[in-house]
Amino acid sequence: MKTCIVRKGLPRIDAIPKVSGEAQYTVDLKMPGLLVGKILRSPHAHARIKSIDTSAAKALDGVLAVITAEDVPENLFAFYQWQADKHILCTDRVRYVGDEVAAVAAMDDDTAEAALDLIKVEYEALPVILDIDEAMKPGAQLIHEGKESNSTWSVDRLFGDPDKALAECDYVVEGTYVTHQLAHCCLEVSNCIAKWDKRDKLTIWTNAQAPHTQRQEVARVLGIPRRNVRIINSTMGGGFGSKLVMDMKLPIASVLSRLTGRPVRIVNTRSEEFTTAKTRYPYTLHLKTGATKDGKILVRDLTLIGDNGAYHDKGPATINFSSMMFGTLYNVPNIRFHGELVYTNKAMGTAFRGFGNPQVTFATESQIDELAEKMGMDPLELRRRNVNHPDETAACGAEVCGCAMSECMELAAKEIGWEEKRGKGAPLRGVGLANMVHTGGGGRFYGFNSAEAIIKLSDEGTVTLITSALDMGQGAHTAMAQIAAEELGVRLEDINVLSHDTELTPYDLGSWGSRATFMNGNAVLAAAEDARQSLVEAAAEMLEADPADILVEESKVWVKGSHEKHDLSEVVDHTVNEHGEPISGIGRFVDHLPEGYTIPTAFAKNIPCFSFGTQAVEVEVDPETGQVNVLRVVAAHETGTTINQTMAEGQLEGSMAQGIGFALMERLVHDDEGRIVNDRFLDYKIPNIGDVPEMKAYCVESVGTRGPFGAKGIGEPGLVPTAPAIANAIYDAIGVRLHEVPMTREQIIKALKEKRASET
Amino acid sequence: MKRELHIRVNGDEYHLLVETHRTLLEVIRDEIGLTGTKNGCGQGECGACTVLLDGEPVNSCLVLAHEAEGHDVLTIEGLGSGDTLHPVQRAFVETGAIQCGYCTPGMVLTAKALLDHNPTPTRAEILEGLKGNLCRCTGYVKIVEAVEAASCLLEGGEIE
Ligand code: FES
Ligand code: FES
Repeated sequence: MKTCIVRKGLPRIDAIPKVSGEAQYTVDLKMPGLLVGKILRSPHAHARIKSIDTSAAKALDGVLAVITAEDVPENLFAFYQWQADKHILCTDRVRYVGDEVAAVAAMDDDTAEAALDLIKVEYEALPVILDIDEAMKPGAQLIHEGKESNSTWSVDRLFGDPDKALAECDYVVEGTYVTHQLAHCCLEVSNCIAKWDKRDKLTIWTNAQAPHTQRQEVARVLGIPRRNVRIINSTMGGGFGSKLVMDMKLPIASVLSRLTGRPVRIVNTRSEEFTTAKTRYPYTLHLKTGATKDGKILVRDLTLIGDNGAYHDKGPATINFSSMMFGTLYNVPNIRFHGELVYTNKAMGTAFRGFGNPQVTFATESQIDELAEKMGMDPLELRRRNVNHPDETAACGAEVCGCAMSECMELAAKEIGWEEKRGKGAPLRGVGLANMVHTGGGGRFYGFNSAEAIIKLSDEGTVTLITSALDMGQGAHTAMAQIAAEELGVRLEDINVLSHDTELTPYDLGSWGSRATFMNGNAVLAAAEDARQSLVEAAAEMLEADPADILVEESKVWVKGSHEKHDLSEVVDHTVNEHGEPISGIGRFVDHLPEGYTIPTAFAKNIPCFSFGTQAVEVEVDPETGQVNVLRVVAAHETGTTINQTMAEGQLEGSMAQGIGFALMERLVHDDEGRIVNDRFLDYKIPNIGDVPEMKAYCVESVGTRGPFGAKGIGEPGLVPTAPAIANAIYDAIGVRLHEVPMTREQIIKALKEKRASET
Repeated sequence: MKRELHIRVNGDEYHLLVETHRTLLEVIRDEIGLTGTKNGCGQGECGACTVLLDGEPVNSCLVLAHEAEGHDVLTIEGLGSGDTLHPVQRAFVETGAIQCGYCTPGMVLTAKALLDHNPTPTRAEILEGLKGNLCRCTGYVKIVEAVEAASCLLEGGEIE
């Protein structure tokens, strides 16, 4: 008989509900009395609101509420309250196309739509600023009145003596690199149902990656007690960072619900998702790298301007994280970093898989190749001379634990055929590679980093695992269940994971920063250890044996040396029904702060666990059309201990596809008035099945990590080095260096033209 | 304006009163209550809403419900029988072709239709057949594997 599938990792525990259509996403929920809410959004990128007339909308049959700024709390909001700059609904000014101006609740979709059409808003246009250079010009139109300038936040980091080091370098390269706004494109759009009940409790069903902090955010902006807000998640159709910070539709739906006394649902259209669901922060990076002639990188100097969009969100955190990864990679002894955020009249940025690291790594890893070129050295060799090492403390303070950077790099290089192909491939073909470092365990940015989990066994030995690890598709539930199953000795199918309700789960910072496996996984492990102890004691009592001799595996219990295996259910039934002692466990993992830690100075000490990786690619370029064909991508990433091979590969493969999108395809394009013109999949292309090349993911194991069973997070790293690897391969293929992503055909044709001109 | 609509979904007959501008997707999800069929764009550009209309894959967000009058619709809930998964579903589960799962119902139905027509597709034919179904999570590697595995299972092969 033919074998069709060889299993590499256990199937996900949610695969069957998903493949059969049983899984319920927030958009699938039904509820009695549910109303449709819709938001009237600004058609202007920058304008004063002169008047709003809602009378006709209110008079329409089937409309239950129409609200404007006057009807909502006046509080300003941002992810960091000290940066608060956005009202729930705009008061007197709109700052990007899509800004929330008014909202309606109606009996059905068509009525809500009609009501929006009936709201009359008079605007007075203001100058629109879409470009950071223009925004930073002295005397530029202020996007937020009352602020000193559009430059809204900055940070400086200094390690060693960069000026002295630059003078000592034999080679210095310098360049400017540019990235643009990208959309997360979760297949399930941002949506919610809010229900403000008669006891003044507010329940919100939504797709949130960080429900506990969103609960706090909703309470903060509405000015109500946090204890009155409950967030309930369903199966999630993607996250990628877009669902960390509260979307304004949550408080808007909440107010509509309070006014109508009924649950109100708001669902983005795909166009709203593209234009308002926030974006990857675009960076402009001025970078200098200096090295000695034997290839030791002595210094890096980076000035980074981030396009904040119209309002604050995760900008400071993103830039800070960028600086930490910038400082850690290659342990460069002299580092200068200046980061700055600038307001523009565009959709706001937010977290996006990689959190500022793909942007910075595009610059740094492209420039390594430029440096190698200048030195006449093989770029792989230059990287070899600067690799990070296990257990080193980098000059920037980063404490590297397990580190498989060399292994990843050598594996990726070998698999792509570096020796045979680099600089000598077929004409118009090239290979390139890039390294990266990322967190493999979240961060201590909140001034703490901890997680809890709860386990209870039923009287038949099945397990309920309560964890705060959200599964937005990455497989956290399965990973948590596997950790619990392994430690407890029960079958995977006997574990049910609950993570969906803030009233049920322990307080938690959420699933971001490749954090869940490391943090929540450790908490689950601790809870399982706790439960196992009770289980073993109960079994010892029942079987009249020494607890030390009790073995539990695959839901069977036996005494060491005995052949008589008992079902776990027998033991649990015995202890519950004969002694009234049910079995449960609670676990907490605290990632203790290093000595002398303070948030402002901690810098790279914020990262509890680093993860390294390399990607190597082969491309073919058509010089006539500028078309880049990625032929093959090899990714070798560090996983510590791989918990589920299939899922870890899946994380890397999905990331690589997003990396290819970032490198070659994706960019939100604005017209002069600030409208996004490609607000649909037809125009904003994400890779389809025919666009992805052959991709091979390797999970490289390493030791020395404090993760559960030695595991690290792998959710984000896979898209960090893809773009520079492709840029480096393009250079190898056709000898032109591109400094802007996405690397479009037009750019390639232009660069080739310039190259030809300079050669004649 | 509402009109009577008679359609067969997963073998069940439905007699509904439906406005003439409603899409098949809306009727399946909102009137009939089968939410396995997903809305990813509502514009015919992602494939999440794929159902089989008389065995052929269509983007149900682009089909008016009344165009399906008298026809047979298969949604993800109708695939497989009882608690047994269809081989295409089994292959998706076992190869790890599912992450968030939002694209999965559409992917699976498109793959089923492909294999109905062409039981042993080449890799190129799989890519061609599924290029209208977007997935943001998987990078498609395991989706291609799943379709190949499904073909193998349908030809009588086994897992492991
Ligand atoms: S929802 Fe129909 S194609 Fe996207
Ligand atoms: S699995 Fe998430 S979109 Fe395909």
